Amino acid sequence: MGRTIVVTAGKGGVGKTTITANLGASLSKLGRKVVLVDMDIGLRNLDVVMGLENRIVYNIMDIAEGRCKINQALVRDKRQSGLFLLPASQVHTKEDVDIDSIVSIISAIENSFDYVLLDSPAGIEKGFESAVAPSKEGLVVVTPDVSSVRDADRVIGLLENRGILGLSLVVNRYDVDLVNRKKMLNADSIVEILGLDLVGIVPEDKAVIDSTNRGEILVNYYANTIAARAFENVARRIEGENVPFVSLNSQNKGFMKFFRRGK
Amino acid sequence: MKLFRRRRSDVIAEERLKFILVQDRSLLTPAEFERMKEDIIRVISNYFEINKSGIELNIQRENRKTILEATVPVISVKRSST
Repeated sequence: MGRTIVVTAGKGGVGKTTITANLGASLSKLGRKVVLVDMDIGLRNLDVVMGLENRIVYNIMDIAEGRCKINQALVRDKRQSGLFLLPASQVHTKEDVDIDSIVSIISAIENSFDYVLLDSPAGIEKGFESAVAPSKEGLVVVTPDVSSVRDADRVIGLLENRGILGLSLVVNRYDVDLVNRKKMLNADSIVEILGLDLVGIVPEDKAVIDSTNRGEILVNYYANTIAARAFENVARRIEGENVPFVSLNSQNKGFMKFFRRGK
Repeated sequence: MKLFRRRRSDVIAEERLKFILVQDRSLLTPAEFERMKEDIIRVISNYFEINKSGIELNIQRENRKTILEATVPVISVKRSST
């Protein structure tokens, strides 16, 4: 049976969907069979990030309400044969969701995949509950700012209350230059405050926007960018591999660093 | 000329966060907290003579576990005459 992991954050805009897509593609590159479930009913976006918006026929609400079978709703990725999307409905709202149906759909899917990743919507209301209910593990996404860390702490408390104990943390949109200049929370402080296992630090990378514009998953399209490498390391750590964290406090800028100090 | 350097904003963010999270993580409202304190005093007073003004109660979260820590200064043991 596969691992079912909710990707969540509380706060919007921290990169839940980007991480879901890239983690899924990275796991698929490692030979795993992966399905990504868009739980943002009414505001779906995972299809757009994956560039699959024109291939959707049915969605998860069609399965829940008996209009199609699970296999009819799954959309295969453009580039990777082991990666699938289960789209959200765009015409329903989160209040229309019957959580029990979602749980039974996911438990049926788990048998045929190595990983089921649920992309949670922002917020802690019913959409969050629907994404958490079928999940056994959680991946909490945080950006290095006070608002995001605060919301993550709240979400971690809620996940623990719901019995989700395998929780790990990804720090996204990390600006190494700002951290070196002591103007951004560093990853160590965030890990200390939140008390979760760190499985990745993803540097801020303009290539993310460019690949999203194209409807291409970064790790598939610009595999040599720093963010793509970081996403692939997240996948390997989730697989249980001991991947050392590259020192991001780069010392290789030499003496030029002195002139940038205090800027 | 500035006499004091502006403080590092990463440190400011960290301090603000720790303060905010202490409030967010406290599971009781201040009124509930006071009521719990009075209840605890009442129960312990059945057995001990205590210094009520020296009581300290803290709810802390460490490593994602919540711990209620109570310090109650005891003056003497009450012995019932029955």
